Amino acid sequence: MELRRPPDAQHAVAALGNGSLALAGGTDLVPLLRDGIVRADTLVHLADAVPRGIDGTRIGAGTTLAELEVDPQVPAALREACAQAASPQLRSMGTIGGNLRQATRCWYWRLRFPCWLHGGEVCHAKAGQHREHAIFGNERCASAHPSDPAAALLALGARVRTDRRELSVAELYRLPTDESRDVVVLAPDELVLELDVPLPDASVYLKAMDRKKWAFPLVGVAAARFGDRVAFGLAGVAPIPWAVDSADDLDRATPLPGTAYKVQIARALIARAFSAL
Amino acid sequence: MLELTINGGVHTLDLPVDRPLAYVLREDLGLTGTKIACGEGHCGACTVLLDGIPTLSCITLAHTVGEREVTTIEGLREHPLVDAFVRTDALQCGFCTPGQIVSASALVAANPSPTRDEVRHAMAGNLCRCGAYPKIEEAILTWRD
Repeated sequence: MELRRPPDAQHAVAALGNGSLALAGGTDLVPLLRDGIVRADTLVHLADAVPRGIDGTRIGAGTTLAELEVDPQVPAALREACAQAASPQLRSMGTIGGNLRQATRCWYWRLRFPCWLHGGEVCHAKAGQHREHAIFGNERCASAHPSDPAAALLALGARVRTDRRELSVAELYRLPTDESRDVVVLAPDELVLELDVPLPDASVYLKAMDRKKWAFPLVGVAAARFGDRVAFGLAGVAPIPWAVDSADDLDRATPLPGTAYKVQIARALIARAFSAL
Repeated sequence: MLELTINGGVHTLDLPVDRPLAYVLREDLGLTGTKIACGEGHCGACTVLLDGIPTLSCITLAHTVGEREVTTIEGLREHPLVDAFVRTDALQCGFCTPGQIVSASALVAANPSPTRDEVRHAMAGNLCRCGAYPKIEEAILTWRD
């Protein structure tokens, strides 16, 4: 394996694709490489290639979660989502750009079962152990998206600038299909460079997890109020971050036997988040 | 060849790209104070400082360290936290202790008088399967005594 450290985004993009993968904080990618879930001939280290830092509503993709959780310019929902994500060491290493691309924690996928998300025919979680899995968008794959910050960015209506286009966080994700099992619309050599995060009138992130610190979300609920409008983004409930307009949308959830409890948790957290605004 | 600055000394090494820093420290340089437990960035036993920031060396590729200075538990042998952990009996098996002290050293460097909540927030990434958490908290809260 080879490691490159391009001096800017243009060189980084040129080095990506054809067996090359982008490496930022490495908190997800390094274990995935070691476990053989992801393969790469070349790692393209992004330390010098993507912007890092916060300037008003603009956040460089190389900014760490630790930097976001303490910056008063950052809306509360994103600060709180970062502060409750992972562990201090992981937050100091992991970047917001990488966080948006993190893979599911589904143990069938992580243990390299030949599951649908890996290109197989069946979702093993649906018939097997799935307490931590999805209640929405789970027809083909019941994995749950683990990112707290992504749910916050979804509720905040954040936009993503890549090396070739701008799109909203809502447009960044899409449910995997038979044709493409990826959960983002980005090309293999496309690089997230920057986020633009609108300032809401109020926002909050609430998270239910198995312990008080350092756990992935069973359900995470971000809420952001812009004038009279309130938007919600949910983590841990679907293969991608999931937007809902109100708790009524939970009536359309499709929980598995082992995830029905998540509907109740989501309903409670949405009500609490709404009253906190 | 790769140059790493560790505890003030410079080491020149020929390493494969996929070699994590923790294995370099322990197996190539004999700095066995840094422990590897989960090996996948969950438990914090392998915590070292990179330019003063607690970092998981088991999932940090050595080639990505760059010019950042590495501080391991061996570089903190004179730190008052070491005595504080002994004085308060803040360990049982001791395997997680190097990582605990490394994380705590960064906390007290930034915030010499942390509250209990601040200790819990900063130390959440260092797991102790013996459950010595109350005494680890006490060690950090009283580190200058």
